[in-house]
Amino acid sequence: MITIAIAKGRMQDSALSLLARAGIRLSEEAVNSRRLALTDETGQYRFIFVKPADVPVYVEHGIADSGVVGRDVLLESEADLLLPLDLGIARCRIVVAAVDPEAMTNVQGMIRVATKYSQIASAHFGSRGIPVEIIQLSGSVELAPALGLADMIVDLVETGRTLRENGLTVIDEIAESTGRLVVNRASYQLKAGEVARLVNALKSTL
Amino acid sequence: MRYYIGAEARLRRMVEDVAMSVFEGWNYEEVITPSVDYYDLFEQGMGQREAQRGFRFTDNDGRLLTLRPDVTSSVARMAATLLAERPRPLRFCYAASVFRQQTQSHAEWRRENTQLGCELIGTGGKPADLEVLRLAAEILSRLNLESRYCITINNVEIFNGVAAQMSLDTPAREQLRRLIDTREADELQRFLTTYGNGETRVFAQPTQLIGKRNVIEAARCAIANQRSVAALDSLDELWTEIESLGLEDSFEIDLGDVSSLDYYTGLSLKVFVHGAGASVGRGGRYDGLTGSFGRAEPAVGFVLNLDALTEVLGRKVVQD
Repeated sequence: MITIAIAKGRMQDSALSLLARAGIRLSEEAVNSRRLALTDETGQYRFIFVKPADVPVYVEHGIADSGVVGRDVLLESEADLLLPLDLGIARCRIVVAAVDPEAMTNVQGMIRVATKYSQIASAHFGSRGIPVEIIQLSGSVELAPALGLADMIVDLVETGRTLRENGLTVIDEIAESTGRLVVNRASYQLKAGEVARLVNALKSTL
Repeated sequence: MRYYIGAEARLRRMVEDVAMSVFEGWNYEEVITPSVDYYDLFEQGMGQREAQRGFRFTDNDGRLLTLRPDVTSSVARMAATLLAERPRPLRFCYAASVFRQQTQSHAEWRRENTQLGCELIGTGGKPADLEVLRLAAEILSRLNLESRYCITINNVEIFNGVAAQMSLDTPAREQLRRLIDTREADELQRFLTTYGNGETRVFAQPTQLIGKRNVIEAARCAIANQRSVAALDSLDELWTEIESLGLEDSFEIDLGDVSSLDYYTGLSLKVFVHGAGASVGRGGRYDGLTGSFGRAEPAVGFVLNLDALTEVLGRKVVQD
């Protein structure tokens, strides 16, 4: 049996429908229940539903053999995982946004950056040699510039609507993010056949 | 930080005793190296990036010391200096703690781990490679992990030969290595569309890098450069020996194991056990290492992680 950790929220529905197209289905009743660990109709796959940031943790420790999670989460966690498949779901961009499109040159003194993604943000500015002060938030990051907490933000953008409504413009794009299939290194060797079956089943739907 | 109490400590001691008695049976002499040594030693032995994960502090005179992050560096230096005159080959084994700074979230997060390891110095080629593989297999089978473990083997020169043909700059080579290591099929395809040649198709399908003899045969169809062909030949011969020992069910070839290219110079191996989320051992040939201590000679060895093995075996007892 292969255990698959699914990131709850944004990714969950598209991940489950992709898996269903690959022939790996959960019963209606199971999906609607509030249980966090479920087995598929064939009994070959077990699903666990966890917060996105916890998917790499479960998979890296081998508690889950595999997982579906966004690249944004993977970049932030720096977990040591295999990434055999880009599922192309929940596509979005990780961007730098600010009220002033010229903020990069106009800010006086140290630039303050509010974000949920402190690793990605510090790597991005660090690689450009721009010293910044990172302010770690856990949500509603778009508020920070308007209220004067930060000069700019690093955040995920799908349509750009939230940014616009909060008066922010994208000033730089860091990376594109899509849902990825991740696999534990030990499972990849020890359950090679089952993992290959899962990868191929998903690949055939893309 | 981990305490072992009573039954757990006995189990851990038993695992250590099994490994050390197997080593002894193959005429490996135990060696005890200093737990604190000058940082330079480990930077020479492991390379800067790995050595910097050691806990470092200064001596009274300001020189940089470190808690040993590995044992191999010390053994290699010992062989090249203290034991320079001793007839070869040298066989050494150890059970020793190593200390590394770890990121908390990672699966191998413990700062202190005990390595059960061996080094075979001064003899190269297939017999030496085979000897350490047999040692590893024997320890695992004596621990009743028969059919629950898998040792993957590769020869890093296969990748090195192909990469040399591509004449990539250092960052591009590192990107290729990373994409193969993490099996990122889509990005790999894109990378190879730009930089690839006829030979690189060997790495294009990450799922096909793992297997038995068929992997070597598939690679032969794609690869023509001498360096990689020589490496494939030696992997092929090693596999033949593994088959003739009846060990092929416990071994896999993984041409995608390119995780420590700077360190290994030929054979590389990783040990996986059901119930452990990360590899519980690794090793390979490092012919370049003793040279950095003034006496270049072939060397091969591996380490098993005592704490990881104890954990797996402890859980197995509970399950059984």
